[in-house]
Amino acid sequence: MLYPDLPTIVPSRSTRGITSTAVIALVVTALLALNACAGGDIPPSPPATAASPVSAPATERVVGPLSAADAEALATMHDGLKAYIELHSTLERSLPPLPKDASPEQIDKNQRAFESLIRHARTTARRGDIFTPAARPVIVRLLATVFGGPEGRQLKASIMDENPVNPVELKLAVNSRYPDTVPLTTIPPLVLQTLPKLTEDLEYRFVGDWLILLDTHAHVIADFIDNALPKYAG
Amino acid sequence: MRPPPSSLVLLALLVVVAGGLGLDRGGGVRDIALDAQPPAAPLSVALPNRDGSFKFAVLGDFGTGDRPQYQLAGQMAALRGRFKFDTVVTVGDNLYGGERPQDFKVKFELPYKPLLDAGVKFYASLGNHDAREQRYYKLFNMGGELYYTLTPSPDIRLFILETTYPTPEQFVWLEKELKGSNHKWKIAFFHHAMYSSGGRHGSDLGLRKVLEPLFVNYNVSVVLSGHDHVYERVKPQKGITYFVVGSGGELRAGNLDRASGLTAKGFDADLAFLAAEISGDQLHYNAISRTGETVDSGVLSRRTPTP
Repeated sequence: MLYPDLPTIVPSRSTRGITSTAVIALVVTALLALNACAGGDIPPSPPATAASPVSAPATERVVGPLSAADAEALATMHDGLKAYIELHSTLERSLPPLPKDASPEQIDKNQRAFESLIRHARTTARRGDIFTPAARPVIVRLLATVFGGPEGRQLKASIMDENPVNPVELKLAVNSRYPDTVPLTTIPPLVLQTLPKLTEDLEYRFVGDWLILLDTHAHVIADFIDNALPKYAG
Repeated sequence: MRPPPSSLVLLALLVVVAGGLGLDRGGGVRDIALDAQPPAAPLSVALPNRDGSFKFAVLGDFGTGDRPQYQLAGQMAALRGRFKFDTVVTVGDNLYGGERPQDFKVKFELPYKPLLDAGVKFYASLGNHDAREQRYYKLFNMGGELYYTLTPSPDIRLFILETTYPTPEQFVWLEKELKGSNHKWKIAFFHHAMYSSGGRHGSDLGLRKVLEPLFVNYNVSVVLSGHDHVYERVKPQKGITYFVVGSGGELRAGNLDRASGLTAKGFDADLAFLAAEISGDQLHYNAISRTGETVDSGVLSRRTPTP
């Protein structure tokens, strides 16, 4: 019998079933990450792209540092993100925990129940609740910087791989279900390192040229930025 | 060697069941429809089949629920009749399209029923067509994790990664795990290929930039991926052997770019899976097609740590 070795750090767990302390830690992590973008004490600002040495660890952010104005703009996502995470966690705790050896029926029932809870709780959600009007142009600009760089063409090709869809035709909207038949776009490491860090169960994905904030447990689009992907790259 | 008659009957039933269901396959890209010809050739295998060796299979991009998937699954079951592998590692795209309970059944549980019934364990990695909840699915044995490790023997450690959303945290975790591993064999499995001659996707350069230094520095010997729906064994890159095994269910015939300069052996004429065996410092492999033909075989040695 072969058993998975459990990761020795907590790399990638669902928030399902974790303690309120852990939930708070996740929120704090998100806020710290955003605070870092806002020029807080930890971690220090990374070097600007042009100044990044070739030997810089690939896991370190290579776009930045942010100007004070950009950092302030990104920080406006704090409240919306915090509110979403708190709602997500509260609703998730109201459901029976999903075991790690679940049946397809359990997975399906749990996922759809969670989707329903989120969508009902966010009936008044609007575009911009998380990607605030102040943060949106900064994110678009950060993406333009990355895709305008030497690897931009390849990065865009990677994202557009199996992503030939038109988000308008799909009628994507805040609080709508992510289409079951649309594959998830790959998000290259460099792009992930550029965008403000999120907690588990919220992920950035692209649908066409829209950047969406996807609740991966609820399969619900929490927010989106249209035309986020630059038309030209590299 | 032909599978026993009972297996053939079961396989035939499964094929009929699959063919009779109008399955949602909207997420899949179907470049070619394999014809309905049944597997014909007797299974040919060239593996040492030693006692005490670690025997496993690798399967990728398979969850279509279509007849060819069932036929390849039949070959896997037939192989196990003479080569007792107890582990299958998937390299993602485990379920195409919908993921309702009936999809798990028709795209996974039914085609691999003979293996599952025999106690074979599947360990999944996720592809871009897979919902994140698959990590909780009992028969994928992921323990609720998107990335994890397996230690099938004291000398072997498998690193199963998630590459559609490769967070910095995962890389930090991976480096820690690789660095702390003194296993002779370190083998990585994930969906997006760092080296691939597939015309549909090709090599993922962004992933390569991040992962290759870790694999080189920490003595990974073999890397197996999917995404491109072909079979390819790549010429060793910086001492590491890369396989693309995205040929488990949805072939892209003729999709290998023969001019890439990467290919040591490629097969894009039919579906295939990989069977492998680690014994001591050697890994023997066979790529076996839907018709039971061994389309690639060989042996490679593990990398040794550089002083």
